[in-house]
Amino acid sequence: MPLTQAPQGFVDATQFRPPEATVDVCIIGSGAGGAVTAATLAAAGLSVVVLEEGGKYSKTDFKMREDIAFPQLYQESGSRATKDLGVTILQGRAVGGTTVVNWTTSFRTPEDVVAHWKKVHGVGGFSYSDLSPHWDAVEERLNIKQIGLEETNRNNRTLYDGMKALGWEVSTTRRNTRQCMKSGYCGLGCPVDAKQSMLITYLPDAVEKGAVVVSRCRVDKLRVEAGKVVAAACSEIGPDGYTPTGRQLEVKARRFVVSAGAINSPALLIRSGLGGGMVGRRTFLHPVVGVASVFKDPIEPFYGAPQSVASHHFAHRGDDVGLFLEAAPLQPMMAAIAAAGFGDGHQKIMAQLSKMAAHIALAIDGFHPSENGGTVEVRPSGAPLLDYPIPPRIRAAHREGLKILAKIDLAAGAQVVYSPHDPPIEIRSEKDIAQLDNAKMGVNEVNTFSAHVMGGCGMGDDPKTSVVRSSDLRHHTVENLHVVDGSVFPTSLGVNPQESIYGLARLMATRFASEWKKA
Amino acid sequence: MTRRGFLKRGLLGGTILVVGGGLGLGLWPSQLTYKSKRALSVLDERRFGILAAVAARVVRAPGADPVEIAHRVDAVFATAVPEAKKDLQQLLLLFDNALAGLLFDGRPRPFTALDGDAQDRVLLAWRDSKLAVRRGGYQALRKLCLSAHYSQPSTWESVGYPGPPQLQIPT
Repeated sequence: MPLTQAPQGFVDATQFRPPEATVDVCIIGSGAGGAVTAATLAAAGLSVVVLEEGGKYSKTDFKMREDIAFPQLYQESGSRATKDLGVTILQGRAVGGTTVVNWTTSFRTPEDVVAHWKKVHGVGGFSYSDLSPHWDAVEERLNIKQIGLEETNRNNRTLYDGMKALGWEVSTTRRNTRQCMKSGYCGLGCPVDAKQSMLITYLPDAVEKGAVVVSRCRVDKLRVEAGKVVAAACSEIGPDGYTPTGRQLEVKARRFVVSAGAINSPALLIRSGLGGGMVGRRTFLHPVVGVASVFKDPIEPFYGAPQSVASHHFAHRGDDVGLFLEAAPLQPMMAAIAAAGFGDGHQKIMAQLSKMAAHIALAIDGFHPSENGGTVEVRPSGAPLLDYPIPPRIRAAHREGLKILAKIDLAAGAQVVYSPHDPPIEIRSEKDIAQLDNAKMGVNEVNTFSAHVMGGCGMGDDPKTSVVRSSDLRHHTVENLHVVDGSVFPTSLGVNPQESIYGLARLMATRFASEWKKA
Repeated sequence: MTRRGFLKRGLLGGTILVVGGGLGLGLWPSQLTYKSKRALSVLDERRFGILAAVAARVVRAPGADPVEIAHRVDAVFATAVPEAKKDLQQLLLLFDNALAGLLFDGRPRPFTALDGDAQDRVLLAWRDSKLAVRRGGYQALRKLCLSAHYSQPSTWESVGYPGPPQLQIPT
């Protein structure tokens, strides 16, 4: 029986009856791209429905426990990995998307990256200065501010001190927080609503202006008829957050915005019969390797603002793949996965957790002509799978990154630096660093992670080399379909992605609003 | 029969399982020291026993309980995509398989029938294998067992983690 009143606000799929009338805009995904787009369009007076596969949680659900948070808040319970299992991918899955679990690091897109896109990938639809006012607005809304050095924890401070001792450029990061208590649990959902994630900012803004945000509603495919998307065909997800209940629903809209993230967005297009060409191609990860270093005094890498220092000193290395350096928090479960080996040797490393710092090198992938990144496939069940065999030139950068990190941590006073190999190479002095020159760097020989998924629906002005136009992120052939999320980036960014997505989404949604209100 | 996922990625492994049945070695039964305590959602009793045997070598921390670790992995996989469930099921059988052991490493006995030191050598052989798919299998089993253990509050003391702080939430 149809509801007499249209659904409003945040609703679970079980409570959601799709509106009888065709809505103006249906947005698939409620993370950085979807939330900002929803708020901007709803504020302009358009009717908006946001469909989110993950659950709706709030601070009272965030218990600061890995065993609870990972199944609730991460794609595939935190076990998402590339096809050869070589890269573990940490990606959010909840109302608010990855912004619920990221570590708050906020950078504008580097100007030279936007210039590279224009020059190499035909991104002519906007300029760096077009983005600036939108970053200003987002920084205001999310209270993005630089953290003071005295507010960093020891894990970040050792990275800073080591780099300063070596005369290398390093600084504190800007973070999207308000009244942050620096508990250290950004990655498990902020327990005090200090992190200005989409969950407590742009999504409530959208709802206040009449948008509906539907949780546990998986979009299986877009129904395309005569070159237009007519409906999103969805499955209601049951109480475990993963298993469909069997109830199917359809949302009809004039326009569709896909904001499901760089793995799920191309997969949705492929499932909808819109694959081929560049869809799911050129996916980038900022592939990460790191070291764990033991210091004499406590580090407590599980507490404090988890990521508050970053360096781009090695971001430009000529023809070689650039690197940026940051710290990563270590709580017991992630530490156990990151630490190498098994049995007594593994426990020996784990027993030093409170004195351990974790520093990471992120490879800036996708800028060299030979680099094509990964490819998103759809498995028989419909689930996506990313195939990303790490090319030798990125492995060479990883090797260099490990040597740099070892040098930094020794300069900061580390007693021993463990490499991410299995078994780890133990570095106690400068001369030990040379052992990394001969270390194996093959797939599953060096522990590799990613928390930044980009590309797969690249933007550009040539349909042969891109999926959406750069002026309005519209699909090249389907006229009422747009993609607004990290998947449109033609390369990686060289910085943590959230603010790049916010700024681009706000620019594009502002353009949509003025265009679509006329229609 | 279609073989997708883990074995498809490691073609050699898939071949061995099929041939192994014909030769008999592949049918050498697993020696199940560990039995489930509760109903299982993804694993059967044989695979559960193999996983618990792996957990017993991988997690040597104080208080580690291989049966509980295997139950937790089984529970996490209840919500996994079908292909990942199948991958885990195939991986566990291949890991224990005697013929695969013989051909890969010259060990003609199931993993579960070996003593602890010999089991560690099997883990190391997978870790150091020339085949990326075997290294991936080792890392997958290792990470599953370790995360199932160290995610539990009862383990925190052993690693010097005091646990989440009591936060005075600002009003």
